[in-house]
Amino acid sequence: MTARPPALGASDKLTFLLSLIPYLMDHDSVTVAEVAGHFGVPAERVREAVRLIAVSGIPGETHQYLDGDLFDIHWDEFEEHDRITLTHLVAIDDSPRFSAREAAALIAGLQYLSSLPENADRDAVASLMAKLSRGASGTPTQLAVSSPDSDAAMSVIQSAGRSSVQVAFDYLNARGEHEHRFVDPLRLESVDNDWYLRGWCHLRQAPRTFRLDRMSELRTTTEPVGSHDAGLVLPDTLFQASDDDLSVVIELPASALVLLADYAPARATTPAGGDRVRTTLRVAHYHGLKRLVAGLAGLVTVVEPAEARQAVADWAAAGAARYDDPSGEA
Amino acid sequence: MPTTADQTPRITVEERLFSLVLALIATEIGLTKADILSTVQGYRQRYLSDGDNANLERQFERDKDDIRELGIPLETVEPPDDPGNNHLLRYRIPKGLYNLPADVSFSPDELMLLKLAATVWREGSLSAESRRALTKLNSLGVDSSDPVLGYAPHLRARDASFTPLSRALDHGQVVAFLYLKPGESSPRRRRVAPRAVVLHGGRWHLYGTDQDAQATRTYLLSRIVGPVVTVPGETFVPDGEGKGRQALDELDALWGANVAELEVEPGSDAAVRLSKREAGKREAGKQDAGKRDAAGTAAGTTMTPNTVTLRTVTPHTVTLHYTDIDILADELAGYGPEVLVRSPLALRQAVRTRLVGVRDAHTGSTQGSAA
Repeated sequence: MTARPPALGASDKLTFLLSLIPYLMDHDSVTVAEVAGHFGVPAERVREAVRLIAVSGIPGETHQYLDGDLFDIHWDEFEEHDRITLTHLVAIDDSPRFSAREAAALIAGLQYLSSLPENADRDAVASLMAKLSRGASGTPTQLAVSSPDSDAAMSVIQSAGRSSVQVAFDYLNARGEHEHRFVDPLRLESVDNDWYLRGWCHLRQAPRTFRLDRMSELRTTTEPVGSHDAGLVLPDTLFQASDDDLSVVIELPASALVLLADYAPARATTPAGGDRVRTTLRVAHYHGLKRLVAGLAGLVTVVEPAEARQAVADWAAAGAARYDDPSGEA
Repeated sequence: MPTTADQTPRITVEERLFSLVLALIATEIGLTKADILSTVQGYRQRYLSDGDNANLERQFERDKDDIRELGIPLETVEPPDDPGNNHLLRYRIPKGLYNLPADVSFSPDELMLLKLAATVWREGSLSAESRRALTKLNSLGVDSSDPVLGYAPHLRARDASFTPLSRALDHGQVVAFLYLKPGESSPRRRRVAPRAVVLHGGRWHLYGTDQDAQATRTYLLSRIVGPVVTVPGETFVPDGEGKGRQALDELDALWGANVAELEVEPGSDAAVRLSKREAGKREAGKQDAGKRDAAGTAAGTTMTPNTVTLRTVTPHTVTLHYTDIDILADELAGYGPEVLVRSPLALRQAVRTRLVGVRDAHTGSTQGSAA
């Protein structure tokens, strides 16, 4: 029954076993809780791994896995005090190398992060990447990520975060309104090429998400951040649905659904002929919808309500009309 | 823990793999397949000394692949006096190639960056690879420093072709797929030796050698239609490092050579966002970064621009570089009347066609389907 492809889980568990041993070698009598904290795994996973390591080893001369051929731990300490002490080692005593793909994943991640203020020292990042390459068992997979423009806004926000002061900026929201905002910066988030500041908005008195590229006149202030943010938990998703949201039925090819993942379309879809399906989107207002649909020309069509169709039609018509004036050569 | 064969205790996959790795590291001269199947924990319980072990052998073949996928250098050694004799092949893991080189160590600041880099991949195989890399990093016992501000950076690799292409890249396999070039009405089959997969301008590109044209080409993953398949028997020697950089340099050159001139509505979303990407600004930003390097500033320690103000001017005309005219046209169409393309003519027409299509698809009854 074990003759089936090992689940991803087995690779992860093997990696954990091989990584745990050198760590335990370097840390005499360490608590399960410390190990769990360091590796960021549940304590029970550490205990399971230790139990397995303690009875594992090599076949040895006798092919019988005798005591001297097995790892050993201080069992009393482990069972009574949740402490781990390796007392006998077999075969390995060092950290494993990265695979070519593992190194590539980290290198590409670093390339993506190279616009962060922490990465301002490009030589240091380059040396870090070289170390990852050297620590890999094969040439890292040729995955590369072009570094986004180093964004001065991030330095300003980070500097405000370090000094615990508010940032101030003019913000153009999705409805097209300009407002001056004072915000306690909490977290910088990104999705691909788009960066967002999440923070406590003093104007709205609530946590809000702001696109960096919609900010103007960004500056740090001398106003200290509020104290409310200590217990403030940011929601996991960048955009939150609200009861006031409007439902819009759209039609699109099934393969294009993935393009709308950020807008959390309803899971349910109904066939609409050919490879097209219909689904429901929740939007705060039609200002965002018309931009979204016009940017996915030929893919997405709004089916209802009629006002939503009208908003999109007006937007596109106004855009197209700009090309119709006499000076247009198109 | 001696056990008798007929009890066949349940041995987990990780215990079998772990025992195999330990046994192969411990041996200098290597173990034959028969040695492994008859003595190593997880195999020996199911080994028949005078029977057919075909299932167990297939299990061993898969385990070998899985171990190699984790970057563990599992070697095959041919008998010097009898090369080609499969029964005498020996397997081992040379300790020197298994161990992380002694000079590869990381500071707490470096570890902070690496941890952040590992969180970048939220989806797909790279997120699992990152997680395992992080586990290995943690084995070094270094505690990372904490960033000043929380970061949650995410990259997506949502194109279905991403994983098969990057695997083929690793294994030096030629792939085939249907590719829909803009302006062509039906997709065409391409046979490509993949050299690099790169993210440029927010889009994933495949850089590779077109086997029919025998020339280097760049493909947008989003235009690959249907599955990516490996071409049986067609392999190539993967390039060393640098192909990814080369692909990005070529895309950068293309980006620099393409210039679009736009008119934007002052104060609009288009004006605020597109003017930040205006030609010339990007180069300026890179120079700034260069100056910081020259000053030898340690990562983010001394820059405290308390009074920095970012001024955003909202000019009527914005000049943008781009790599792909259709992708830019999609984006510009989204801005509706806020943008008017002045040049090039092809971009002007592409945006106009999109807007007219969207207008017509949303005019009249709901029965009308998209253009």
